[in-house]
Amino acid sequence: MTTAPSVPSETAANAPMIVVDALRKSLRTGSTNVDILKGIDFTIARGEFAAIMGASGSGKSTLLGLLAGLDNPSSGSVALNGTVISNLPEDKLAQLRGRTVGFVFQSYQLIPTLTALENVLLPYELNDESGDRKAGMDRAKQLLDSVGLTTRLDHYPVQLSGGEQQRVALARAFILRPPIVLADEPTGNLDSTNGQHILDLLLHLNQVEGTTLVLVTHDPELAAHARRIITLRDGLVVSDTIQAGT
Amino acid sequence: MASLTYTTAARIATRELHSSRGKFTFVILSVAIGVAALTGVRGFSASFRTMLSLRARSIMAGDLSAKTTRQPTPTEQEGLDRIAAEGVDSTQVTELNSMASAAGSLDPLLVSVKAVDPEKYPFYGAVDLVPNVPLAGALTPSTVAVADDLLIRLHLSLGDSIKLGNGLYRIVAVVKNEPDRLSGTFAAGPRILLSQQALDDSGLVGYGSHATRRYLYKMPPPRPGKASPDDAVAAMKTRLENLLPDAQVTDYREASPALARGLDSSTAILSLMSLVALVLGAVGVAMAMRAHLQQRLDSIAIMKSLGAGSLQIMKIYLLQTLLLGLAGGLLGVLLGLGVQVAFPLFLAKLLHITPDFRVDPRAVVIGLAVGLLTTLLFTLPTLLEIRSMRPILILRRAVDDIDVTFRERVQHWLKNAAKQMPSFIIIVAGLGLIAARVSDSALTGEIFAGALVVVLLFLFAMSWATLSLLRLFLGKTRLHLPSAVRHGLANLYRPGNPSAGLLAALGLGVMQIMTVYFVQQAAVQELHISTAANLPNVFLIDIATSEVAGVRALLAQQPGVQGTPEIVPVVSSRLLAVDGVPAEKLKINHAPRGMFRSLNLTWSPTPDAPPPGSKVTDGQWWTAQQSADAARHPLVAVGKGDADRLHIQPGQQVTFAAEDSQFTATVAAIFDTDSRHAYSRAEFVLPEPVLRGLPVVWYGGVHCEPKATAELERAFYAAYPTITVIDVAATLEVVRQVILQITYVIQFLAAFSIFAGIVILASAIAGTRYRRIREVVVLKTLGATRTRIAAIFSIEFAVLGLVAALVGLVFANITAKLVLHYVLKIDYHFQPLLTLFTLLLTAAMTVVAGWLASHRVLGQKPLEVLREE
Repeated sequence: MTTAPSVPSETAANAPMIVVDALRKSLRTGSTNVDILKGIDFTIARGEFAAIMGASGSGKSTLLGLLAGLDNPSSGSVALNGTVISNLPEDKLAQLRGRTVGFVFQSYQLIPTLTALENVLLPYELNDESGDRKAGMDRAKQLLDSVGLTTRLDHYPVQLSGGEQQRVALARAFILRPPIVLADEPTGNLDSTNGQHILDLLLHLNQVEGTTLVLVTHDPELAAHARRIITLRDGLVVSDTIQAGT
Repeated sequence: MASLTYTTAARIATRELHSSRGKFTFVILSVAIGVAALTGVRGFSASFRTMLSLRARSIMAGDLSAKTTRQPTPTEQEGLDRIAAEGVDSTQVTELNSMASAAGSLDPLLVSVKAVDPEKYPFYGAVDLVPNVPLAGALTPSTVAVADDLLIRLHLSLGDSIKLGNGLYRIVAVVKNEPDRLSGTFAAGPRILLSQQALDDSGLVGYGSHATRRYLYKMPPPRPGKASPDDAVAAMKTRLENLLPDAQVTDYREASPALARGLDSSTAILSLMSLVALVLGAVGVAMAMRAHLQQRLDSIAIMKSLGAGSLQIMKIYLLQTLLLGLAGGLLGVLLGLGVQVAFPLFLAKLLHITPDFRVDPRAVVIGLAVGLLTTLLFTLPTLLEIRSMRPILILRRAVDDIDVTFRERVQHWLKNAAKQMPSFIIIVAGLGLIAARVSDSALTGEIFAGALVVVLLFLFAMSWATLSLLRLFLGKTRLHLPSAVRHGLANLYRPGNPSAGLLAALGLGVMQIMTVYFVQQAAVQELHISTAANLPNVFLIDIATSEVAGVRALLAQQPGVQGTPEIVPVVSSRLLAVDGVPAEKLKINHAPRGMFRSLNLTWSPTPDAPPPGSKVTDGQWWTAQQSADAARHPLVAVGKGDADRLHIQPGQQVTFAAEDSQFTATVAAIFDTDSRHAYSRAEFVLPEPVLRGLPVVWYGGVHCEPKATAELERAFYAAYPTITVIDVAATLEVVRQVILQITYVIQFLAAFSIFAGIVILASAIAGTRYRRIREVVVLKTLGATRTRIAAIFSIEFAVLGLVAALVGLVFANITAKLVLHYVLKIDYHFQPLLTLFTLLLTAAMTVVAGWLASHRVLGQKPLEVLREE
């Protein structure tokens, strides 16, 4: 197992964005306990682009979910932007997620009864405290424009192609400018052209806006774009490497 | 050729059902509700019928009964005496309404008086008294037994005295039960039971007074070689009918015929109402099965790809439907037993008797069969759709072209509708047959089926229109609405969400219960409407001729009395013939044949003009001279209602009988009387000389200020204790209670329809549970709190309930208006507060049902769900 690279000494400005400490997750199926994650430790720096790779069943999607606070670990902890999230009450967790994490699902997960614009606007309506609805609307339209969907604002998900839906999902993930974006196989259901487009958008947001990006993928070509690759096997980190030239 | 065996089909069917237990639980419940209502109604009816036949003799308190409203003529009395001499035991029961008061007070109370011969009455059954003393000991010339209610209302106890007519009696017992209560007359007030001697002493029953007399007969035991008991009873019945042509003669085998007829009619109506709930349940099954089949498309595609034919696949889902129907039916039968127990509680004040609880196998079988058949009928179109499912389309998941034109959409819809038409016809025909069976009338069945389908279609159309309008509104305003409201409204159109059809089903339940309520309210309200200043609101019953002048004087002294009192003479009579045609052979329109057995004749206070409140509609009223000469040339004017029923016109000859005499009068005129006048009591007006010498009883009608009515009653009671004073308002209160009791039962059953509608709505919501969970997960990921998510879903459920209630209320108002206007001839008034309350209550019930169906969606951990993707 390759040890994690050392992190420069931490100042407030470059304190780690994500800290994972002795993370374990077990699931009970029937009468047996299945260990999905068996003790994960790593940190991800602010603005870093990390890819989590592994074969099917290695625990990568579970790990990503725990990073987003979508479930509680069996033991260990996860801290996001300095806040330990592992045992926060559900509603506090939801609020933290809304402001701190943008999540991109493999299967888009748009609300089918809301239009593209409304889907993008949703996190803003749920989490913004300024009450400036116009600002949210403008930002949503600008994001949809930036992903090339200016003419599809009033379309429902069922009226959009897979690539278009994923672009809406991306725009939704970025509306509140979250410091962290977690993406679970964001190009898994797309053809190569659309997949490349999505990747370009993610890279742009990481490089230009400084968003910390964690991407789960089984595709080495996709992972090659990341600065750092964390490889899981059987619930453990087997390698954690910095890519040269990134 | 190999075929899918029933065993294999059943195995697949049961496994699928087992895996979707939660969803189908609602469906089973929705069927159970309708079956429970139907089984409960019919079970109760069967128990009641059994009770009537087992206790027939007790209910009659004899083998035969002859009911009449007048004393026998001397000839008739001779015939009755001969019967008594032959060993047929008989006893008289006299019933009337009168006034009574506590001995020391003069505040009278309208009471129901029943006088019996305690040595003989009852021939069968027993009177329950508290304390448990022999009836002969309780009913002496100076003692009486009374109902609990009377003690309460007059503030009396056992041992106190009560004034009735001219008599003063001590109360020695409380009457808990009389065996022939159901056979007696309508009790306008609490009961006083006394001996015939005590009644005679009270002076309440004079010559010609309006008391009901029931002559009870007990046949002697059969002797060897003589006719069997039933033959003897039948022979005696014929003899009594000939001897007492005015009387209503019945024997124990048709105990309380009016009640039996009423029971049959009520059972039919209530069964049809239960059928509505059952239809809704079946609709729920059909929709659940449709949703289920949609989810099973992959399995069906695979089976078809492997060579299974449509019929073979239909076997599986037909078995599932049968199992659901059977499960619902069995549960419904169990619940129906509870309904059967509940019914007597609603009808306690009306029936005064509770049938023994019995499980009627026939009611159970009918309930089960109807439940199963209705479920199958409504699921038929869905099952037939399996034929048109093509594997390749399912496996390729072809999606409709989103750019299809409106015209193409309509054409597609019409094509589908045409394909469904045969199923639709089968459903309506099947429903008609079922309705005919439960109502025992083919015509009723056809009308019911047709009306139900038409109403459902209208409700569906209105639900669809409302949802479409809401969608339009949402489209125009969505970005201006608060986020939770927008999201909640948008969710109405989530795939799989309750459709217009389901909302129509719930709306039908709301419509049923609110129609009954609106009609009940209007009918009861009508009873409270005060009369105009010149119309009577207090009536005086049984005024003797010798008392008329005194009554007029007393009324003149009462400060509350307004206008001129109407004191009307009435002679009891019988119609014998019209133009020589005997009464039994006359064609009668819309009236019982017995109507001509007891008629009221009167004369006008003005010899040459119609009575007050009447006007001539045909012919000509007689002159003063003709009136004076009428004893030799009798004339008669006939009320329009009776003239229409008997087809009588001016110039015809009508023959009457009164006491032992008869006379023929020429019809001079047809007239119409305002029913609120006292003179409306008499349908035939003759000149006074024609009726001179015949027994007369007088009735009075007077308008009194409501707050002076009690004073008027006291004054009359003090001066004329034998005259019954009926305050219309108080009497209408009794009628109001009867109406309320009856409508409570109807509303109880209508509530089943609402319940069925809520259950199938919940079932549809439960069917979208997985979609909701996914939505909750996404919302939580985006930062939504549980409160926010709960608000979104609650808005969605509330709007569903509001739409259903709105649709139901619109039709309830329309139906109530039609019923009130055309059937009851009462004005209809829209009730905004009640409407608002119903809207809110239905919305609240839907929210509760929606959350019950969506339980635990908020508690799911997002990752647990996402992992299953």
